[in-house]
Amino acid sequence: MNLSLHPLILLLVFPGGLFLMNIGLLYEWADRKLVARFQSRVGPRWFQPFADTVKLLAKEEIIPNGVHKFMFQALPIIALTGALTAALYIPMFGFEAAFSFEGDLIVALYMLSMMTLSIGLAGANTLSRFTIIGATRALTQMFSYEAPFLLALLGPAIAAGTWNIGKINTFTGENIWLILAQPIGFIIAVVGLMGKLELPPFDAPEAETEIVAGALTEYSGRGLALFHIGKNVELVIGLTLVVIFYLGGIANPIEFILKSAGLFLVVSALQSMFARLRIDQTVGLWWRLGALMGLLQLLAIIFGRYLGEILR
Amino acid sequence: MTEAKKEKFIVPIGPQHPALKEPGNFEFTVDGEIVTDATVRLGFVHRGIEKACETRNYTQDMYLLERVCGICSHVHATAFVLGVEKLAGVQAPPRAEAIRVLAAELERIHSHLLWFGVAAHEAGFDTLFMYTWRDREVVMDILETLSGSRVHYSVNILGGVKIDIDQKLSDLIKKDMDFLEERTEHYMKVVTTDETFLGRTRGIGTLSRDRAKLLGAVGPTARASGVKRDVRVNAPYSGYKEFPVKMVIDQTGDLEARFVVRLKELYESYRLIREILEKIQPGEISTRIKRKIPEGEVISRVEAPRGELFYFIKSNGTEMPDRVKVRTPSLCNWGTITDVAVGHKLADMPMLLAGIDPCFSCNDRMVEIRSDSQPSQMMNWDGLRKYGIEYYK
Amino acid sequence: MAIGVLFGDLVKAFFTKPATQNYPFTKTIAPERLRGKLVYDPEKCIGCMLCMKDCPSNAIELLTVDKINKRFVMRYHPDRCVFCAQCVQLCRFNCLNMSNSLWEMASTSKEAFEVYYGREEDIAFLLERAAQPGINEPPCE
Repeated sequence: MNLSLHPLILLLVFPGGLFLMNIGLLYEWADRKLVARFQSRVGPRWFQPFADTVKLLAKEEIIPNGVHKFMFQALPIIALTGALTAALYIPMFGFEAAFSFEGDLIVALYMLSMMTLSIGLAGANTLSRFTIIGATRALTQMFSYEAPFLLALLGPAIAAGTWNIGKINTFTGENIWLILAQPIGFIIAVVGLMGKLELPPFDAPEAETEIVAGALTEYSGRGLALFHIGKNVELVIGLTLVVIFYLGGIANPIEFILKSAGLFLVVSALQSMFARLRIDQTVGLWWRLGALMGLLQLLAIIFGRYLGEILR
Repeated sequence: MTEAKKEKFIVPIGPQHPALKEPGNFEFTVDGEIVTDATVRLGFVHRGIEKACETRNYTQDMYLLERVCGICSHVHATAFVLGVEKLAGVQAPPRAEAIRVLAAELERIHSHLLWFGVAAHEAGFDTLFMYTWRDREVVMDILETLSGSRVHYSVNILGGVKIDIDQKLSDLIKKDMDFLEERTEHYMKVVTTDETFLGRTRGIGTLSRDRAKLLGAVGPTARASGVKRDVRVNAPYSGYKEFPVKMVIDQTGDLEARFVVRLKELYESYRLIREILEKIQPGEISTRIKRKIPEGEVISRVEAPRGELFYFIKSNGTEMPDRVKVRTPSLCNWGTITDVAVGHKLADMPMLLAGIDPCFSCNDRMVEIRSDSQPSQMMNWDGLRKYGIEYYK
Repeated sequence: MAIGVLFGDLVKAFFTKPATQNYPFTKTIAPERLRGKLVYDPEKCIGCMLCMKDCPSNAIELLTVDKINKRFVMRYHPDRCVFCAQCVQLCRFNCLNMSNSLWEMASTSKEAFEVYYGREEDIAFLLERAAQPGINEPPCE
């Protein structure tokens, strides 16, 4: 579906800014509710994330001693901006992407990494021991999942022969679901997404039983709220990306809702099924298993394409 | 740069920390993620219970001592009551002793399931935590139906017990035991086969048999290291003479072994409860005991869910005890943590802490460390008060 | 070696009702033996004061109105009570009981935590005497 709106509206209301933030909070609720149901609990009501965010935004932001004040206040904004900018290149909700050019996949992925970088910097900025350890872990984790995740997303891109997310969307929509053609890539993409979003069992950077809240321990009020919104936006984008790449693309809003809901169910089940991995286990898992499998998958795809051309 | 290298990076955990449900302070010196030194500081919940015992009569003390710990409340009362009965030369009727054992085993089930959930939570396995606590409700409901309260069962009175069991209750308990046994088998499968969970427990915090003996570990912590230490078997008390238990031993000594030992103890408890319900003899449930307890001293030991619980009671022939000294099992096990922690990752620390099933409210005991360079000093009340004001100035 | 052993439980939990109880709206019936609020029957009391003597938390005050005619008023403090039922155990005349229905005792006022049990005229008499300036209440013991 094509969407022709004023660029400012695209940026601020839909599909950028406001809409994305709200749907991000809705996703957070869905996540919490699903995990609660898997754990035989009731879970929060639908407005709980909204209420939390409003409360946090209304509260005082405490700036601890010994931090770089400008950095402390700017980092949450940068993190959120990065996530929101990434959304502009992705065909959200079944509409065409607001902006697109050849190679926007790389831009979108790096915009998404802004979040983790900001969290790392935010943690290193404060003096608290928990935040420093949290920051170290967050950055270590980033270095471990980033490569396999990228490899997993490159698979469909190479299959489609383009690095434009919009075009990959049309390609996957026309062909068979890539989850069948590249099952390993799908698994790596989903698990990589969980690592990216620091969802359990990859929540070592914010493991509450060890380091309180990780890098964000010293954050309160507005900064914390912005980080939360940023993370939720990233959840929306991440799920959408995986749906586009592996679950047959998104042609209309109904397809978007159904497919992301299905993927969401899988992700939240994975979240509640495992014990938390230690950071060394996470790194080991990714580099030993994830990267290798991703490479294998990629080789298989390239070989397949080559073979196809020869046969033709 | 050399200056910065010398500086230690200490991660404080507690007194307030999400990993700890009760106050305690641990300082881990870390080098990256590896712990190089660990210290424990306790006593944030000192309530002066031992002193308070001296101003109350024996009946009131029993209820006060029940409140030393919120989880193993029954064993505290049992230890005290057994000691007082010994002093008074009174023997509780067999039915009363069987009911005491019944309550103690039900309490063990609830305590072990609680610990299992907490340990799973420390490992970041919240789903397992929620499931175990859901199933723990079953045994909590039994305890409530049996005694009338979910936490402080107050089953004991001096010279017997307060409550009796009938056929209806017995059937209910048997049914629930079947359910719990089935669930425990399932959890056993989880802790011994689930790869992610094993990654957090297998080979972590291995305590050798000799170290465990040397450090004076008690309870499941010691038994997981192969130390044969269980008061229920070594020196049977109360109803355990009539209903013996089998000691559960594991040789590995790591966290996984502690999980396995505690879960196997659950099976043993289920078996024992069924046996008691089958074989319990009809009869009286209490005998009379004089208000004034004859002069004397007594040591009373029972096996709490966390290990050996030790009571020393001194009577001076009045209605009130002269001295009551409590030594709780958690206190004995702290040494194992600082010993084992070095060389492990920081992420393993909460698991190690949870591994001994620490009960912080049990740790408000005074420990005197004897040293030749610093002789111990006596203080009177005024001196202590002045010292306190100066200390916190 | 296995991964995701809990998968079966997850599916089961997803399709069954939550284990959580929606407390103020649904309440389970308390078991028969539940030790709730203490209830006192003044008709049977002979004033042996054992309950007061052995109460571990000084929650019971037995006030004597007329010792010869066995008229007593019990001042009970639910906020101090630890619900151990020692008083119920000690009472030989069954005038004390722990209710299994009165267990929701949260209150925002202090008055709810001072309960008088006894004949109405006795309570009125005691309260009147307490209200008079200069005359203290009879000592507890």
